[in-house]
Amino acid sequence: MTRQLTGSPAAPAQAVQAPQRRGRWSGRTRRDFFVFLALALPNLALIAVFTYLPLVNNMYYSTLDWTLGSTSATVVGFDNYINFFTSSDAPQVLGTTVIFTVVTVGGSMVLGLLVALALNAKVRGTTFARSAVFAPYVLSGVGVGLVWLFIFDPGYGVLSWLLRGIGQQSPQWINDPQLSLVMVIIVYVWKNLGYCAVVYLAGLQSLPKDVMEAASLDGANGFRRFMSISVPLLSPTTFFLLITTMISSLQAFDLIRIMTPLGNGTSTLIYEAYLQAFGAYNRAGYSAAISVVLFAILLIITVLQLRFVERKVHYS
Amino acid sequence: MAMNLDRRNFLGLAGLGVGAAALAACGGPSTSGSVASSSPSDIDFTGVKPAGSFDFWTSHPGQSQAVEQSIIDKFQAKFPDIKVNLVTAGANYEEIAQKFQTSQAAKSALPGLVVLSDVWWFRYYTNGNIIPLDGLIKQLDVKIDDFQKSLVADYQYANKQWALPYGRSTPLFYYNKDHFKAAGLPDRAPKTWQEFADWAPKLQASSGAKYAYIYPALAGYAGWTLQNNLWGWGGSWSNGWTFNCDSTESVAALQWAQDSIYKDKWAGVSSKNAADDFAAGITSTTISSTGDLLGVLKSAKFNVGVGFMPGGPKAETNVCPTGGAGLGIPSGVSKEVQLAAATFLKFMTEPENTAAFSAATGYMPTRVSADMTAVLAKTPQIKTAMDQLAVTKVQDNARVFLPGADQEMAKAAAKILTQQGDVKATMTDLKATLDGIYTKDVKPKLKS
Repeated sequence: MTRQLTGSPAAPAQAVQAPQRRGRWSGRTRRDFFVFLALALPNLALIAVFTYLPLVNNMYYSTLDWTLGSTSATVVGFDNYINFFTSSDAPQVLGTTVIFTVVTVGGSMVLGLLVALALNAKVRGTTFARSAVFAPYVLSGVGVGLVWLFIFDPGYGVLSWLLRGIGQQSPQWINDPQLSLVMVIIVYVWKNLGYCAVVYLAGLQSLPKDVMEAASLDGANGFRRFMSISVPLLSPTTFFLLITTMISSLQAFDLIRIMTPLGNGTSTLIYEAYLQAFGAYNRAGYSAAISVVLFAILLIITVLQLRFVERKVHYS
Repeated sequence: MAMNLDRRNFLGLAGLGVGAAALAACGGPSTSGSVASSSPSDIDFTGVKPAGSFDFWTSHPGQSQAVEQSIIDKFQAKFPDIKVNLVTAGANYEEIAQKFQTSQAAKSALPGLVVLSDVWWFRYYTNGNIIPLDGLIKQLDVKIDDFQKSLVADYQYANKQWALPYGRSTPLFYYNKDHFKAAGLPDRAPKTWQEFADWAPKLQASSGAKYAYIYPALAGYAGWTLQNNLWGWGGSWSNGWTFNCDSTESVAALQWAQDSIYKDKWAGVSSKNAADDFAAGITSTTISSTGDLLGVLKSAKFNVGVGFMPGGPKAETNVCPTGGAGLGIPSGVSKEVQLAAATFLKFMTEPENTAAFSAATGYMPTRVSADMTAVLAKTPQIKTAMDQLAVTKVQDNARVFLPGADQEMAKAAAKILTQQGDVKATMTDLKATLDGIYTKDVKPKLKS
């Protein structure tokens, strides 16, 4: 029964093609295959050792009650997952993750598009402006975090100095958990909007000029042309950015670590996983469970985006 | 894309799964229920020869890299057969702990000697990461009676000595003498916080500083310094293993602290480092570690005064916690390395070296017989820290023995001092958290 169901439609064709396939495994094809293996295997081995093996290890650790540093642990099954989802911290951590991801992805993409539109204009200095906008993206997150901490410092920061100049007190950016999240989001968007801007700029420059000219001749103004032609035709770019920036935001670590080491108000899933294992708590198994939750969320988001969002993308 | 899961595919996937599980089980901790580290009483160094070299992991507390290297150089001259590799293993106690714990998990690259702070050594003990030093102390004839008793006692548990004091500190009350003079205040630290509350408006009016007093940064060691307030009001984070941070006295202490910020408006909370804020003139007073003393004296452009920690309405003295770091020897290295490290540990903590370390950092000398005459002639403020040692109090169990408790205390303090959260409710939540950590992470590991 099973054999019939799985094999019946394709079986005749496979039976016919089988001798041909064996025939292909000779001469040049065989040589090509070995070349392929020689080129691909080192990379596959590296990916297996440094990505998939830790992933599997991490899943195993998530089933342990293990204190980092201890040489022994107890198998507890799904207790770490249950403990996380029933803890008072879970709503806060998941909420912070959602807020941080939505605002940074949205902010980077919207501002990136606006900046790209400005950079697309044919005026003097655009080359310098493009470099300046992209530069923060390639800077070290640690360096960026330290400089912005100085800017935001309520005691002697640049922002505090400017606010004092107009008779205002600086908000407690670092001590107030809600403002800490705002602070980190601002810096993250500033650092990453250059990436979105450059990708959008490439998209804008590849838009078909004839369609734009036809729309102009038909009397469409700039805003109408942007909304009705540019935005739909930029959808592949938007789709690409949506996936990459969302994954990047969910994995954001360096700025949070430098600017708010305690994670008070800024503890996203990945930072909570870090704090639980390598911070003060040393709960390695519990931290591994949080990492698996993050992995599952990333997997689900990526699959959903590929299945549903991509359908709305106009590729031509 | 449809996938035909026939028998071959299924077996292939199953094999992959089994292989992955087998690979996963190869690394990480043992789940057989036995602890790998040997029992403390098993260690016998008879006939062991010290190793030729070992790593000394330090975070250079109090910017001590230069003095650490100079002591190592002196050691090399005396013991040319033992090479000490000075390794910067982190920027602070937490980073060095992170590296040490990770090396324990990886079971490799462990040092011979490691700096361990007041809140970390007990975890190393419960995890079996460090060895008791009693045998080595006896074999190497370390003059344990010459150490400051309270500092040595901090590392004793289950009748064993688990570390020796190194960069040991207490909080100190720092004040801007110029501001005090301008406000017509006596040139001394306040005896109690109530006395300071009377002084604060005068200071604020005359100094031009933003705050009369700034609370230490909460991301630092809020749990450490706030013990002063709690003890002064008759409260604490814990009494033994009873967590009483929600007691009337503890709540009153933190309510007073909250009022100083929101009601009386003469205090603030440091964002990064209270000692830096003080040295920059943002505040007239603060409390900070003795380890910050030399840095403050160097960077402040005004006359700096230091004094004992102020008391409170219930206790005017013995309201100062000890703190800082000690030195321990890991269990996961060979006996030869342990013996070499212990030889250096003995040398490092000898009176002239602890005096040199104290002179360079402001940390307290750990040996009673350390000759501090030259040090005190140069930096007389260190005398205050040394004198205060007589009126220190052992820290609350909740802060030093509970993993993550310091962080939970800092979060609670942030809620109270920066978000004006309800003090009683916050402390009740903290008590529940501390109870949970104790029950899950500490109680099962305590010796009966």
